Amino acid sequence: MSTSTGSWADAPDGAILLAYANGDVEAARVLSGRLLPRVLAQATRMLSDQAEAEDVAQEAMMRLWKIAPDWRQDEAQVSTWLYRVVANLCTDRLRKRRGVSLDQITEPADPTASAAGQIQDNARLSALSAALTELPERQAQAVSLRHLEGLSNPDIADIMNISVRSVESLTARGKRALADILRKHKSALGYDDD
Amino acid sequence: MMTKSDDEFLDDIFGTAKAQPTLVPDDLMARVMADAQSALVKPDGAPKQSLFAGVFDIIGGWPSVGGLAMAGVAGLWFGVSPPAALSTWTAELIGVPVSVDLFGDTTAYFAETQIDG
Repeated sequence: MSTSTGSWADAPDGAILLAYANGDVEAARVLSGRLLPRVLAQATRMLSDQAEAEDVAQEAMMRLWKIAPDWRQDEAQVSTWLYRVVANLCTDRLRKRRGVSLDQITEPADPTASAAGQIQDNARLSALSAALTELPERQAQAVSLRHLEGLSNPDIADIMNISVRSVESLTARGKRALADILRKHKSALGYDDD
Repeated sequence: MMTKSDDEFLDDIFGTAKAQPTLVPDDLMARVMADAQSALVKPDGAPKQSLFAGVFDIIGGWPSVGGLAMAGVAGLWFGVSPPAALSTWTAELIGVPVSVDLFGDTTAYFAETQIDG
């Protein structure tokens, strides 16, 4: 079966995934075009490392292709499932990074550099990613889904398979812990100290 | 306890992260599509396995076929020309075959009776 991209425009992700499972490679192209940018963005925001984020995105999509024949449309949304897979793959990577000092990452940016703003942004993103490694994994996942992906608490509860109340607790504690970690580096990150 | 200032600078960092443009590099898309192609299990397109190939796989492929052939040749050889040691061993195990004539000379008697009427 060969299907043009246009005919998939209004189809839900699950239906396209089933078409792929039935042998339609074009469906995989449509699904990749739809999902890969978001998958890569989520991984990039959590890891602040392009190469690692690409590896995670590729791995997450590979897992999607493999689960396709067993996918049950009525049980889960593809996007929810992917958020969960990417969050788990990223926290695995963050765990392996533990022990890297934040001081190594948050070197003050050179104000005379032509791309000073971008350098400072990169330092802040690296510091955020490094600070996430110091959080318990569930807190890091909840904080990133809430504050980096902008998802609602019920959506996060669905992704993490926990109650909304637990999400609220995890995000509150996680954000507080992040503030404690990053406060020490405020000036290095270009913020005025209180 | 988080101060208002903590909220502001954290939100600013979160905002910076969210504002980063994400472009999917062509080579990443190519790798993902190659994975999709390789992971695809074609329900109709896959060549069906023949009965012989199925049995061949079940018994363990060529190594098992080689063993079976050797066993067959050895069995045929023992049947045609059993070694002396094997004969002795089988005799001890199942005994020596003995033929017994149950009727002895009576065969001739019955034959004569039938002729004489």
